[in-house]
Amino acid sequence: MGFFDDKQDWLEIVFRNYPPENRRAAVMPLLRKVQQEEGHVSPERIREIAEILGTTATEVRGVMSFYSYYQAVPTGKYHLQVCATLSCKLAGAEELWDTLRAELGVGPGEVTPDGLFSIQKVECLGSCHTAPVVQVNDEPYLECMNRERLRALLEGLRAGKPLEEIELPGDCGHEVRKEGA
Amino acid sequence: MPKLRINDREIEVPEGTSVLDAIFHAGYDVPYFCSERHLSPIGACRMCLVKVGAPRKGKDGDWIRDEAGNPQIFWFPKLMAACTTRATEGMVVDTLADEVRKAQAGMVEFHLENHPLDCPTCDKGGACELQDRSYEYGLFEKYYTQTQNGLKTVLYSRFEFTKRHADKHHKLSEFVVLDRERCIHCKRCVRYFEEIPGEEVLDFIERGNHTFIGSEEIPLPAGFSGNITDICPVGALLDLTARFRARNWEFEKTPTVDMNDAFGAAIWVDSRSGRIERIRAREHPETNQIWISDAARFGHGWASRDRLTEPLLRKDGELVPVSLAEAEAFLAERLSGAKGEEVGLLLAADATLEEGYAFAEAARALKTPHFGFENATRYPVANLPAARYEELLEAEFALVIGDPAEEMPNLYLRLQEFLKGVTPAPRYYHGTPIADLRLEEHMPRRRERLAVFAPYPTRLHRFAGVAGVYPPGSVGALVGALFAILNGKRPEPVPGVPEAELRRVAERFLAAKTRAVVVGAEVLEAPAAAQAVADLARAKGALVFAMPPAAGARGLEAVGLWNPKGRGWEEPGAGLLLAFGATPPERVLAAARLRVLALSHLDPRARAQADLVLPAKTFYEKRGYTVNAEGRVLELRPAPTAPLGAMDGIEALAFWLRGMGRKPPAGHYREARERLHERHKLPLDLPEEVAFWRPKLRLAARPGEDKGELFLAPTMWRARMLADPRVRAALGPPRLRAHPETARRLGLDPGATVEVETGYGRWEARVELDPALAEGALVLPAWGRGAGRRVAYRLRVPAGGEA
Ligand code: SF4
Ligand code: FES
Ligand code: FES
Repeated sequence: MGFFDDKQDWLEIVFRNYPPENRRAAVMPLLRKVQQEEGHVSPERIREIAEILGTTATEVRGVMSFYSYYQAVPTGKYHLQVCATLSCKLAGAEELWDTLRAELGVGPGEVTPDGLFSIQKVECLGSCHTAPVVQVNDEPYLECMNRERLRALLEGLRAGKPLEEIELPGDCGHEVRKEGA
Repeated sequence: MPKLRINDREIEVPEGTSVLDAIFHAGYDVPYFCSERHLSPIGACRMCLVKVGAPRKGKDGDWIRDEAGNPQIFWFPKLMAACTTRATEGMVVDTLADEVRKAQAGMVEFHLENHPLDCPTCDKGGACELQDRSYEYGLFEKYYTQTQNGLKTVLYSRFEFTKRHADKHHKLSEFVVLDRERCIHCKRCVRYFEEIPGEEVLDFIERGNHTFIGSEEIPLPAGFSGNITDICPVGALLDLTARFRARNWEFEKTPTVDMNDAFGAAIWVDSRSGRIERIRAREHPETNQIWISDAARFGHGWASRDRLTEPLLRKDGELVPVSLAEAEAFLAERLSGAKGEEVGLLLAADATLEEGYAFAEAARALKTPHFGFENATRYPVANLPAARYEELLEAEFALVIGDPAEEMPNLYLRLQEFLKGVTPAPRYYHGTPIADLRLEEHMPRRRERLAVFAPYPTRLHRFAGVAGVYPPGSVGALVGALFAILNGKRPEPVPGVPEAELRRVAERFLAAKTRAVVVGAEVLEAPAAAQAVADLARAKGALVFAMPPAAGARGLEAVGLWNPKGRGWEEPGAGLLLAFGATPPERVLAAARLRVLALSHLDPRARAQADLVLPAKTFYEKRGYTVNAEGRVLELRPAPTAPLGAMDGIEALAFWLRGMGRKPPAGHYREARERLHERHKLPLDLPEEVAFWRPKLRLAARPGEDKGELFLAPTMWRARMLADPRVRAALGPPRLRAHPETARRLGLDPGATVEVETGYGRWEARVELDPALAEGALVLPAWGRGAGRRVAYRLRVPAGGEA
């Protein structure tokens, strides 16, 4: 069964925002919907989206792969994104990354056996002043990360705590985890 | 028309010209990678950076002036990409400044940063834009040298790090291979697919430093994919048929014309040591521009394999090689006392004008009713008016009945241009604009300008405002109904096509100031429908583009090879048969006492039935002229690949007539050309831009009507091309398409392999159900023979078939 089969009403609302002769403009909301609900966009979904929009799977994949947000392979319940661009790198992002890999025993594109975690390096998250930065799924940033804070984070997540309830030791010298950072 | 200065030269260019074209127009050079003729300029490669300044207007609307009273030039703060900058009045462009030179060198350096520099094993070597531009504009002594071991050498880069590695042999199809390391991300190939044939099958995947060319549509659909191997500025996209066959400077490059279809596309035949290795598109701005179809490009393998090199004579039931003298003696013996009217003279569809003329003259002299050319339609295409392809771009509405993508693939590309609303580009001193600012990525296609009808959904259907599928055999009804509506009469119903649709077409047709009608083989096979189109064009005024299934049809008909009595290529009757270039149907051979075939290749039918086979030239190897579908006279030049002793039609005919003890109309090519010129006053010496030959003809149509149930769909691929395993692999088995109901009635299972036999041959086809077809429809690819006809057929499920 197609992902969008039972979402015709939703599709219709989306398409209202785009010129009818240029449906392919709606590629982003469709990709996002799949990513949010399935944790990744599989080749089948790419094809389904292409068909709905009247374009080719190539074009959908081209758009999708441009954004690091969209995942081509399944992700864990918590997808940890480590910023690896300059500021974060200078502030120790590499170390964080190595720690994550060692702690979880997975590399990019893999999911821990319990299905909880997957990891990815991403480009600048736009919060260089609180480097290094980690983001879990779509949630607000975790800033000024270091090994201790990372361990605390993993522990909390493993214990099934909601993100906002997890206490990270130390702080950033200013309010940490501002809403919508 | 803005006037501007390029370095020291003042020029005037048409409004909308890019600075890049202005520079070339002025006779200066500027390097570029991402711009390409007929593609949108995108400013991606930054190779064309130049220094640009322009005068500015003050508040009073007048130019701001310097002390001397001249308009003051304000230089742009940074170098500008010439390809995306519009040339404006009073502009000043400096392409020679030191900073420009430095920028160019810097950009070359960036382009080479991750480039593998494997030119010695790269097929593009010697014809590579990156190579050339690196030599011309790369780092240079003045700035970048290093001293090593006391030796001063020029650097190609100041950077040192490990290059990015990527997939080097990524097969995109049987015909095209991609080397991702060589790619410089100019995006030409991506833009090509979207902008020219209108299929987005290549794209940039990932971004930034990780970007690579990728596709989810592998293998790339065969049809128009090969052009990317021409336009890729580096060796990233290569023609697999020519992989590692030669270095570019070793090829013998022959400029000639593709004779696989009637469009008359200009091609380069690249040969080496007597073999055709590669076909490339040759630029002809008014016809194919810089594009050709995959069939024209990749379908050359047959010409270089298993060639006949000597005459073969049947002895004791077997064809055995003999000397020409023996063949001559054999002919003289068998033709002695022969009556002229017994002789049949048949010519292949890709014959030249001169060959056609010689055959027509001979047939006249022999007073034989048996003559003609392969794939002649019932209605002579020469009766229809012809418009220039470029005129299509001026039309406001086009009605298409047929399948241009298959019948004349280059016309399909012209139709795409028409849909985008692009008009012919201005011509500069350097030719076609390289960065035509009128072109954009993803230009909307104006569907309302196009109506398409065919017996099956074609590639064009997706782009048409009105798109219909009628059952094969109803084309006459369709044209009749349209004609009736246009004349204010009540139309008869057309199966599969609602009257309201037809009325919409008629309305748009009449509302358009200029209109075009494109008709294919199926219409030409239905004389009443074709005549209606001719009348329509005359009465209402419309440009007509007819796509005959025989490449040379217009010319061959006009030089006298039109045979209205209907005893041409298809009908048995001749007792003494000479056929040049292709093997006539079995029944025609069976009815003859003597069968002489001049062929480049021995096919099974010839092997079984011919008495004498003479080695013949292919169209790649012929000298001569042809008239294309727009009535333009085009010159064929011979590639040096014909085996010694291979004849053209004129020589084969002379050989035959001497056997009869008669004087041939021409002994060799020169003579035929002179006679032809004398008789028809052809514009043979005029440049191709103006050389048109459109004699006003009223030839009688051939009577008759197709009765069969199997529709032979036109294909750009020809049967002879299937001799090449690569082509077979790319195309797969022919598809026998049937409406689900029809399939059930005939007991055909989807996916089953069946043997289909028609008067044109036998095919193992795979059954495919297609609900988009009209009920009753059964469609098989024609591979060039009998395209657009409905024929009788026999079906058989072979042993081992899955049905
Ligand atoms: S493959 Fe060739 S044409 Fe395509 S982007 Fe790369 S260099 Fe340009
Ligand atoms: S570099 Fe990490 S947030 Fe900018
Ligand atoms: S930027 Fe590529 S040609 Fe101008």
